[in-house]
Amino acid sequence: MKRIQFSRRHLFQLSTVVVLILLGVLMYVIGRQHTILLDNKTLEVGGTSYQAFSVVEVAVDKEEVLELAARDRDKAVVMGQRHTVMLRYADRFFEEHELTVSFKVPIGQDMVLISLPALAGGADESVWLQNYEPPTAVAPPQAEEPVVVDDLMVNLGDF
Amino acid sequence: MSELRESRGEKFLGFVQKNAVPILFLIICSAEIPLSGYSMNYLGQEIIIRIARNSFLIIALLVPIMAGMGLNFGMTLGAMAGQIGLIFITDWGIAGIPGIVLAMIISTPISMFLGWMCGKILNRAKGREMVTSYIIGFFINGVYQLIVLYGMGPVIPIKDPALVLPRGYGIRNTVNLIGIRQTLDRLISVKVFGLNIPIVTMAVIAALCLFIVWFRKTKLGQDMRAVGQDMEVARAAGIKVEHTRIVSVVISTVLAGYGMIIYLQNIGTLNTYNSHMQIGMFSIAALLVGGATVNRASIGNVFLGVTLFHLMFIVSPMAGKNLIGQAQLGEYFRVFVSYGVITLALVLYETRKRRDRSKVGRLLAQDQAEEREGF
Repeated sequence: MKRIQFSRRHLFQLSTVVVLILLGVLMYVIGRQHTILLDNKTLEVGGTSYQAFSVVEVAVDKEEVLELAARDRDKAVVMGQRHTVMLRYADRFFEEHELTVSFKVPIGQDMVLISLPALAGGADESVWLQNYEPPTAVAPPQAEEPVVVDDLMVNLGDF
Repeated sequence: MSELRESRGEKFLGFVQKNAVPILFLIICSAEIPLSGYSMNYLGQEIIIRIARNSFLIIALLVPIMAGMGLNFGMTLGAMAGQIGLIFITDWGIAGIPGIVLAMIISTPISMFLGWMCGKILNRAKGREMVTSYIIGFFINGVYQLIVLYGMGPVIPIKDPALVLPRGYGIRNTVNLIGIRQTLDRLISVKVFGLNIPIVTMAVIAALCLFIVWFRKTKLGQDMRAVGQDMEVARAAGIKVEHTRIVSVVISTVLAGYGMIIYLQNIGTLNTYNSHMQIGMFSIAALLVGGATVNRASIGNVFLGVTLFHLMFIVSPMAGKNLIGQAQLGEYFRVFVSYGVITLALVLYETRKRRDRSKVGRLLAQDQAEEREGF
């Protein structure tokens, strides 16, 4: 049986493969997109009620500031796992407050929902940050994206 | 051996023959630019976009030419590998620069395998590399379609319903690359004389050019040039000819995969079953328009080719419309010019080879005549 000699060349090849795999994993982790749903609805948890704001300004990371009225829901699409959410709201005495909170989205989670009233009300993270599974009702088939081509891509078969 | 005595007319004819394709395109473009009515600013911006979009793919063709394997029509194999990488990152929801890098990492082993396979086959078809690689492209396209149309979904898990056909398996005709659309181009962009220049994309292309310049000076690069000049002499000199040829195809295929990712991030949409089909043909046409031949190509040919070829692509429809009221003529014109230029370049290559052979004969006869006169 032929013995395989482990040379410096093999070591170099192996380390290149390992570095590429690690780089791939790193890219996956830092490039993973998540949808953050920002929910401004009254929430009742364990007998405590977190009232919806009449108007609240919210921004995730350095994305644009969104203005939500009561019962509004909007979304922000972000990359990576660690994020901050900034809330700006006025209380019933018309005093303005700003709150910035950091949170982490699990890598396997496509969507999370942040309850803004619960966040401002000082609830536990498990209350204001929840995983969100989009409803799986049978959706009508989505229309195809329009084909965008470079003008190089003239269909030569038609010619 | 002394130099062949040529008249001025012969020298001029030689120069024109050597640069026939770029000269022809220069004439066509100079006639069409005023007819199209486009401003210089618009044309400049379009050319910059196309240089950023296409140059990487065209530079990928240089390595097999160096190794004497001609124009690598098999670069579509790399393009398919790049597309597979893009399908995966879209499904996994990886965006931005990490998405582009991950797509490149995924495409690398696929491109390497396909390039190795292509190189092995081309070694068995020496002298007919171009037509063989062209047909390999069709063959692998069938395999690609089988995998993407039937394998993705039931065998290879794809969870994003926006990617999968309504029947439940297979990838849709178009994949929206919104996550990576122009990410590289817009990362750093500066405005010079009103023209937006995508600095990062240009830097990547410049890095590849430097790599090619450096690679030519390495042992492997020198081996490739030796193999390209004469395989038997190279073999006698102890160079592993077959291995060197395979490596050149592998490098070209991997670079073509990266080039396709850069190309598609600029376009922003992946046309799953068509994007790769003509990319080889048009890249080769652009390189030939730049004055390259089957056995000689440089980085200068790449940029001159992209500029002239795409300039013609931009101005032809409008020139056709303004000239005879039909933009369609311009569309047809640029399609048949693409094929025409490849045919012309191949014919000129053969003509030049014959002319060079006759030149060597004439030079020998001249030397013998001089020797006779001397004694």
